[in-house]
Amino acid sequence: MEDNTTVAVEESAAVDSMAAEAALPQKKKRKPINQQKLQDNLWGWAFCVPLIVGTVLFIYIALVMALLLSFTTYNSLILGPGDSIWTFLGDMFAGKDVYSDSVGNTDPLRWYKYVFQWEEYSTGTTTSPYPMNVTGMLLFNTVFYAIGIPIGMVLAMFFAVCMSRDIKGGNVFRVVYYLPCVASTVSIVYTFTNMFGTDGVINRLLGANIPWFREEVSQPWLTLTDGGDPFWGHGLLQKSLIIIMSVWKGLGGTIILYIAGLSGVNASTKEAAQIDGANGWRIFWKITMPDLYPVIFYNIVTAVIGGMQIYAEPELFFPTASTTGSYPNFLTSGYVSLIWFWGVTSRARIDTNYYDPGIPGNAAYQSLGAAYGMVLAVIILVLTLFQFWLDRKNND
Amino acid sequence: MENMQSVQVDIAEEEIKVSSFRYGLNAVLAFFGFSTKTHRASKKRAKLVGDIVTYIVLLFGAFLMIYPFWWMIAASFAQTGGQEGNNALSGLDWWPTPSAFGYDDAVGGFFRNYVVLFDRGFSGGIFDPSFSYWRAVANNLFYSIVPVVVGVITSAMAAFSFAKINWIGRNAVFMFLLAAIMVPGPSIMTTQYAMYQSFGFLNNWAVMVVPGLFGAIMTAFFIRQFLFGLPTSIIEAAKIDGAGYGRIFVGFILPLAMPAIVAQGLLSFMGCWNNYMGSYIFITGSSVWVNLPHAMTIMNSGTTFASDQGPILAAAVMCVLPVIILFAIFQKMIIGSLMLTGSKE
Repeated sequence: MEDNTTVAVEESAAVDSMAAEAALPQKKKRKPINQQKLQDNLWGWAFCVPLIVGTVLFIYIALVMALLLSFTTYNSLILGPGDSIWTFLGDMFAGKDVYSDSVGNTDPLRWYKYVFQWEEYSTGTTTSPYPMNVTGMLLFNTVFYAIGIPIGMVLAMFFAVCMSRDIKGGNVFRVVYYLPCVASTVSIVYTFTNMFGTDGVINRLLGANIPWFREEVSQPWLTLTDGGDPFWGHGLLQKSLIIIMSVWKGLGGTIILYIAGLSGVNASTKEAAQIDGANGWRIFWKITMPDLYPVIFYNIVTAVIGGMQIYAEPELFFPTASTTGSYPNFLTSGYVSLIWFWGVTSRARIDTNYYDPGIPGNAAYQSLGAAYGMVLAVIILVLTLFQFWLDRKNND
Repeated sequence: MENMQSVQVDIAEEEIKVSSFRYGLNAVLAFFGFSTKTHRASKKRAKLVGDIVTYIVLLFGAFLMIYPFWWMIAASFAQTGGQEGNNALSGLDWWPTPSAFGYDDAVGGFFRNYVVLFDRGFSGGIFDPSFSYWRAVANNLFYSIVPVVVGVITSAMAAFSFAKINWIGRNAVFMFLLAAIMVPGPSIMTTQYAMYQSFGFLNNWAVMVVPGLFGAIMTAFFIRQFLFGLPTSIIEAAKIDGAGYGRIFVGFILPLAMPAIVAQGLLSFMGCWNNYMGSYIFITGSSVWVNLPHAMTIMNSGTTFASDQGPILAAAVMCVLPVIILFAIFQKMIIGSLMLTGSKE
């Protein structure tokens, strides 16, 4: 608590001193208007202070702390009475040992090694242990869900072009298509859960008997048989269900952005092409699409960033067992589930031969969660930079 | 043989004349508004046919968008409480048929699922003994009104400063803040958890309210975009008349930027109302401070409603309904604000 206030005080002090510094040189140079400049600088800073404090404290400081914590053994049982994360970090900076555990491991990179290791996991039903990489499997799920991005983009483009025709009631369609975006994910998931049941309305309409939900999903690793392919062999229907829902729910927002982009397409170029005898299809590809390119690029970048952080939908459709189980659902959970799984909820001792942090009883490993988070941040950063790199080539 | 040859000749001389089949097809195409080499369709006909096709496509899409909502409402009236259990939902296409078995607990008649939800939906299991449905609604209102109103005003303050006040380091600070949206939320989730723990925010209202009070970067960004469109001369005039920046903000900027502020506020309200993840991560299920979506997941995870999904769907309807109504009222403003985002990019 005290540390919090000191941070806040430091913040405001820094801001004040910076404002004063910023105002000072002006004072010397131009005497007649220095009052106005001083006012501008003081008020400019003053209006921003809440946003700056909030962003710095809850995002930047949290980010730096996450990076620092990911090298330590910080967990929910490590703090003594009256201690907090701040005293722990103070110990870290004071040079105290925050890296070693009761079983003698002092490797600061232990969590990063843990994230990328392969495990011999015994499924219980098979005789030999099953080698798997948990991070890889959940990353595979996350990337699999990204299939929904191009599907959603093409559908949204199609509907946006339809809606931007000069028809009556276009606005009504816009509102209707945007409805799923404002609805609560939890409500929608529970509705879809019942609609997609084995004898639910969707299967009846399709005249099929598709097992969208399987019994084994609550304990998916039990279905992994020796030699079976854990990536493509299992859970594809379950993943498809989540893709269907995300595409359905996200369509409206993309459509609105495309409509806005389409209304900005140069109308005179279009008309000129029409007079020159180009048909609608050619006009779309040669004139509309290049003009729309910035909107499409923005959509792809935000969709990829958002898609890598998918968490709630898979966890709501196929909840990870809260008390039993040593991992999130292998076949459906997104990568973010790992952060939540280790970092926030109390888990029994990590079930591996590789690393035993020596913590008795249940603990939430915030440090391990932070390490998973840092890996996610790097993945997203690399993906975003890669897209911007592609974009630069495209612009040249 | 001769016939074949003549067809080949026709194909070779396609530019001049085509086969009779092709000719007829082109006539039909022209009727439906497609111009070909032999027949020119009238522009009016092309537009009419195009409009009809567009309407069919859009209506089909609209049906796909609406149907789950319709189904959710219909299912919330299904008689799942009786011996049939969830089978009442399995047979449901458009509207629930009254069950032959009837309810075990015949409360509320047609509105049985809602009565059950309000009476005992959010009690038992890991819920706090004093928790109730209305407590969840009150929590949700508190979580989505207080931080949104205060947060939008702080964001507008920052936006005003970034758009209309000249101060040294303005652009650098703005870029510094804007870069924060690159930080993925889940990456810093566990540290935020530890941080909130040290502040004493965990498992009470503060975690859902206090961080929102500081405003959001994206909200500030959009209001700033809007403020760029306002003439600076108003502010200059007010300054000459002796108004301070505080006065200008309250007297000019807030009223003038109201459309942007309200639209951003409504969008944040919807985000906060549906904020399942925040409550799920930072508030334990046995606390009285869980919000509505989180309480719904707790209700669903219990055994009481496992074979009686009606009340859960009633809860889903009650969670979606306020947002839908709000959106229906302010749709013009919200969509307009979103369109502005699209055209600015």
